[in-house]
Amino acid sequence: MIPNSLPILTILVFLPLACCLLLLPAWKRPRLAFSLALASMLLELALTVGLFASWKGLAAVQTALPGFLLLEDRSWIEAFGIRYTLGLDGISLLMVMLTAFSFCVAILVSWRAIKERAVLFLVLLLAMETGIMGVFLSLDLALFYLFWEVMLIPMFFLIGVWGHGRRIYSTIKFFLFTLFGSLLMLLAIIALHLFHAQQTGVVTFALHALLKTTLAPHTQLWLYAAFFLAFAIKFPLFPVHTWLPDAHTDAPTAGSVILAGLLLKTGSYGLIRFGYPLFPQAAHILTPLFYTLALIGIIYASLVAFAQEDMKRLIAYSSIGHMGFVAIGIAAWQPVALSGSIIQMANHGVTTGALFCLVGMLDERAHTREIAAFGGLWGKTPLWSFFFLFFSLASVGLPGLNNFVGEFLILAGTMKSSPLVAALAFGGIVLTLIYMVRLVQEVCFQEERQPLELTDLVPRELCLLALVALLNLWMGVHPAPLLDLIRTPVRLLIGGGP
Amino acid sequence: MEFYLAFILLFPLAGGLCNTLFARLLPRRLSEAVACGAIWASFICALLVFFNFTGPLKVEYASWLTAFDFQAPVTLYLDQLSLSLALMITFVCGLIHLYSIGYMKGDPALARYFALLNIFVFAMLVLVLAENLPLLYLGWEGVGFCSYALIGFWYQEEKNATAGRKAFIVTRIGDIAFGIAMVWMYRLFGTVSITQLNSMASLVPAGIVTGLGILLLIGATGKSAQLPLSVWLPDAMAGPTPVSAQIHAATMVTAGVYLLARMFPLIGASEAVRAAIAVIGGVTAFYAATCACAQRDLKRILAYSTISQIGYMVLGVGAGALTAATFHLLTHAFFKALLFLGAGCVITVLHHQQDIYRMGGLKSRFPAIYWPFLAGALCLAGFPGSGGFFSKDAILGAVFARGGALYGSLFALGLFTALLTAFYTFRMLFVVFHGEADNSRPLSPSSGEWHSHLPPVMTVTLIPLALFGLLGGILDLPEYLGASAFLSGFLGPIPGFAGLVQAVPGDEVSLQIIAAATSIVGLGLAWSRYTGDRRAASLAMEEAGSPRSDFFLYGWYLDHLYHLLLIRPFEWLSRFLWKRIDESGIDGSLDGLARFTARLGGVPAGWSSGRVVTSLFGLAGGVCVVLAYLAWRVLG
Repeated sequence: MIPNSLPILTILVFLPLACCLLLLPAWKRPRLAFSLALASMLLELALTVGLFASWKGLAAVQTALPGFLLLEDRSWIEAFGIRYTLGLDGISLLMVMLTAFSFCVAILVSWRAIKERAVLFLVLLLAMETGIMGVFLSLDLALFYLFWEVMLIPMFFLIGVWGHGRRIYSTIKFFLFTLFGSLLMLLAIIALHLFHAQQTGVVTFALHALLKTTLAPHTQLWLYAAFFLAFAIKFPLFPVHTWLPDAHTDAPTAGSVILAGLLLKTGSYGLIRFGYPLFPQAAHILTPLFYTLALIGIIYASLVAFAQEDMKRLIAYSSIGHMGFVAIGIAAWQPVALSGSIIQMANHGVTTGALFCLVGMLDERAHTREIAAFGGLWGKTPLWSFFFLFFSLASVGLPGLNNFVGEFLILAGTMKSSPLVAALAFGGIVLTLIYMVRLVQEVCFQEERQPLELTDLVPRELCLLALVALLNLWMGVHPAPLLDLIRTPVRLLIGGGP
Repeated sequence: MEFYLAFILLFPLAGGLCNTLFARLLPRRLSEAVACGAIWASFICALLVFFNFTGPLKVEYASWLTAFDFQAPVTLYLDQLSLSLALMITFVCGLIHLYSIGYMKGDPALARYFALLNIFVFAMLVLVLAENLPLLYLGWEGVGFCSYALIGFWYQEEKNATAGRKAFIVTRIGDIAFGIAMVWMYRLFGTVSITQLNSMASLVPAGIVTGLGILLLIGATGKSAQLPLSVWLPDAMAGPTPVSAQIHAATMVTAGVYLLARMFPLIGASEAVRAAIAVIGGVTAFYAATCACAQRDLKRILAYSTISQIGYMVLGVGAGALTAATFHLLTHAFFKALLFLGAGCVITVLHHQQDIYRMGGLKSRFPAIYWPFLAGALCLAGFPGSGGFFSKDAILGAVFARGGALYGSLFALGLFTALLTAFYTFRMLFVVFHGEADNSRPLSPSSGEWHSHLPPVMTVTLIPLALFGLLGGILDLPEYLGASAFLSGFLGPIPGFAGLVQAVPGDEVSLQIIAAATSIVGLGLAWSRYTGDRRAASLAMEEAGSPRSDFFLYGWYLDHLYHLLLIRPFEWLSRFLWKRIDESGIDGSLDGLARFTARLGGVPAGWSSGRVVTSLFGLAGGVCVVLAYLAWRVLG
């Protein structure tokens, strides 16, 4: 379907950035710029879907690395042994699809909402897409780190410039938290690089070379701790989660969609791709800690979510809880649970992204997100309420919708390696239900509490949400294609298994 | 065959989707026709399957959850149990759909109502026909959601929305246990297929089987409103009355009983689990019957009676009498749907008045309601000869036949509950239909007038239900009557249904005489209290209330207890964690750190103020430090 001669991965990463240049002539014409940016994002989405449609064919051809469908490897900064290595396996393909999809959602939801400095907004959005694509495709640690920082900066401005409320405080908090973690990770990457050079004499940052480094248990633990902290902040795990509610609350809707849909996933993805494979013993030793933090995260975040008065903040806390399930599945490091976690990363991106869109749409109309301001919306904005109920149900893990698939596989797999954790995590499911139905009831049902002039969804919003809902349903009813896609990489990561 | 089987499910799903997607675009009549047509088409498919039924059948339609060794495909399992339940569900729900046309006349949200009702039937059928536990769980949660949405159907009133939410959450608490049991079975046996699991009880120690059984029992108590998770069902009466009939009487609430019966070959291997099931069932039956005696809301009486009757079914499962439990499940579905629909007629003619103390004398005015309602009441009270009599007595007989102190006392409790049942049933009947309406009391909040015209469809649908309820006994007549027991023969081949203990025929006759006498005594008590001269005095006394009757009226204050022990601490903890830990604790200390860093940064900023003196001091200080360091290196 896609010719093999093209450097598809490079195109995937840099197409959005190239589109930024295209936007410059349209600086004074935001409408045109929006169309151009959307076109490039749709092209990107079409590319990833094309890859998905042809992945079985690609898998039939052996690449240099087992499990990888596509690889691009060029030398770059030879003095430090930094190479430009991009690789695509089933897990990255799923993440890349999610990325392309989330950006389309993000731009469509900003269509009318962003009025000031719209082209700058689009440039930042596209730059961020490049960064995130790069994170999900890099197989060279230096390159990975570069993209990791690249995706951070546009988000900093996105919240700082187009945000609401205490946006400066929130964005600096977000920036400091993430930077703190990533600097430690940078130190660990350099240390790993030096250890490897010491042992073999080869100067490299390539993941698959570094995997073969033998490290003293003590060193491994320290290096892993640095990686773990960086990823835990992104995840986010308790107690380094407090940047997230603030960032979400004050971010523009597109920012929230990207944050929840993608930035959080880079944490879990990094742990799966780099943390566990590079430092297996250390990861094993720290598993109890990981379990504990994840469980606390689920229960704590769900309890705190129940008390929230701002809709967006409530959903932000719910993100922490849902990502706690992903964390448990990774900590179990067991094929079924890990498959569940990876699927859940995509599921959470779709469901929570849609919930943030819905809250954003409501905020545009009512200019408030306070739960106590609403009530009885089912009668006033039935379409909006229908979708809100739909995605809330997906969020609480109703079988047949997508979140159930991920959560259930995570719990089933975790049961095999750690029954107590699985049993406790099941309790989290009822906590999710408690805060979610409270939110739905107070917003959609009961009597209206303030007279608000609200219009229902316009066709653009309706189409967007209907598409996301269909995707959600498809992932819930027929997840087999996605589970097939990640089967080989999961097996290779964990080693063994059927 | 596979084709018909799939269409049993697909018709209600298609009907539901149709009404969801086209909601208000469909004309009313079309909406109704689609919804009712879907269910009756599904019933016809079920009939076709029944006539072609030759033996248990397993059909895999598609894959669903597949990850490594975890396999949960979309597989349906048709055996005698799932088939008889599917027939009952489609038939009873079909009648309730028809009835709804009359009951919901004039409601603007008709499409939403029928969409949910159809999707409910779909989910219930998935629950019954599923071959593996995750698929069963899909139906299980699906009915939970429909129940939530339909209880809160009239969402404008906070009370209704809250009742829906309560039902969702309380049943979900039970679902946690069910979920844990499911993944535990996967860990133990490497499969979640029901048929495979049921043959594996001998592979694991008895202690583990007991654990699994208890978890499934907790799951069942949630859905089937048994103690201690029974509190949601009385509140669930906030929904439209046909919903109460369909979901909270005939079908969904029996899901727990079905689950226990389905998994009985596995969990029944543990004596402790059987005893626990029997005790929960017996005690719940008694508990709910006492509460029903004190209720003054017509629908709440029926709600408590449902909890109580399901308690009997659970007791039957515990006693190993699966056929009897299923028999009671079927007859109960008919007569309880009948009673609810009858109550719906009463409520309609009285302009949504539900307080029985505001009723009376309806018999002469509405014989079309009275006679079917009487049939339902006879069944519920276990009046000799009615369907409810035979099915309830089959359960009590099985409990008695088990012998021993535990089952002996459960039998006595069950018999006493039967007395209470007969009493509260006829109390309801006599208060509502007999006597004279007291003109000094306002009939309804909105107007004092009777609503004399009732849509005919509402009374006509009562008749088949009344016939099935009254004659339901024919399904499985006791042997001493010389008839062949159809249901026992039909269900017999299913593993676990053959029955653990057979009652001695002589005992059976005497047991039935005792049961018949109990029912008649209950009737007599109600007769003497609520008809004739004593009626006015009894009603006045009851309406005044007393601490003792309040205790029963509020369901032994179970709700208050949970509010005090669970809800209040939960709300407090949630605020505490947010305000004290998240905001003041974590964020507070981080902000403090940030301020400290900023101040630290401010110190050198003060130095670079451009004043020469400061710079000189700094220079001198620096030189001193360097000198001191060098001195220390040289001398030390």
